[in-house]
Amino acid sequence: MSLQGKLALVTGSGRGIGKAIALKLASQGINIIINYFRHRENAEQTARDVESLGVKAEVIKANVGDPEKIDEMFDMIGTKFGCLDILINNAASGVGRPVADIDVKAWEWTMDINARALLLCAQRAAKLMEGRGGKIVSISSLGSRFVLPNYTIVGVSKAALEALTRYLAIELAPQNICVNTVAASAVETEALKFYFKEGLAKDSSQLTPAGRMVAPEDVANIVAFLCSEEAFMIRGQTIIVDGGTSVGLFALAGK
Amino acid sequence: MTVEDQVRDIVAKITRVDKSIITRQSTFKEIKADSLDVVQALVAVEETFGIEIPDEEAQKFQNFGDFVSYVESRVAQEEKV
Repeated sequence: MSLQGKLALVTGSGRGIGKAIALKLASQGINIIINYFRHRENAEQTARDVESLGVKAEVIKANVGDPEKIDEMFDMIGTKFGCLDILINNAASGVGRPVADIDVKAWEWTMDINARALLLCAQRAAKLMEGRGGKIVSISSLGSRFVLPNYTIVGVSKAALEALTRYLAIELAPQNICVNTVAASAVETEALKFYFKEGLAKDSSQLTPAGRMVAPEDVANIVAFLCSEEAFMIRGQTIIVDGGTSVGLFALAGK
Repeated sequence: MTVEDQVRDIVAKITRVDKSIITRQSTFKEIKADSLDVVQALVAVEETFGIEIPDEEAQKFQNFGDFVSYVESRVAQEEKV
């Protein structure tokens, strides 16, 4: 089955990993709905880049942490396109704090955007995929299973996201919808620069057996694979893209 | 209600401080606004006034007054259009 002419929504695709995914899918002939929250110019640039690959692009603003905004976004997709083939749940946010400083507001903000958004978007997307099947792929991070400094809330939200991926995969399987997640180690993006600044991450290329940091395109390639029919039998999985970091800890400790 | 009053209400609600202590000279630190508070205030103000505030502009705000002045100028621009 060709992906040509299909329709994908990529949340948070103004920049970084989301943008790389949008461009990768567009390069396969898939029309792209670019969702953004705060940076319109970036989203419009992604749209131009998508269109230059010969497919259609649509830009929709929505804070995926806000259920009403998610509804508005899907109402618009339903009205304008009447269907959806692929949902990429990529948008993420987070507050970097030690456990002692986490308050309810920071917890809710992060959980709403990183975890609850998958539930709400998947519910609405599944309706638009009725009778045609579909793919849902989320983006997680190694922080879901390994402890990173000041990463508690984000790590926990990503763990919830991965667990939800498993439940969705089973419950949506009868509708022919494949649900999976890609978990990356630190990826070279604007967000990572912010994490560097906040002391939440540091250059880990030396700690990566593959010899360099993960690039947004590395993640996008696996997402595209999970959207293909070749990946039909992969369900509810979290595929790690980290250049070997998570399995090489002890081997690297001696270096 | 002026733009300043509306922005003050939004900021006070998000940071949970008494709005009487928020003056144009107040820094975000003095209002005890952390980075999440600032983002939430920006989003709420954007929605209230139907504008978008680029991060590059927001980063220039030294105090509450800068924030208000920026919103006032954007609102005035919108009204002209």
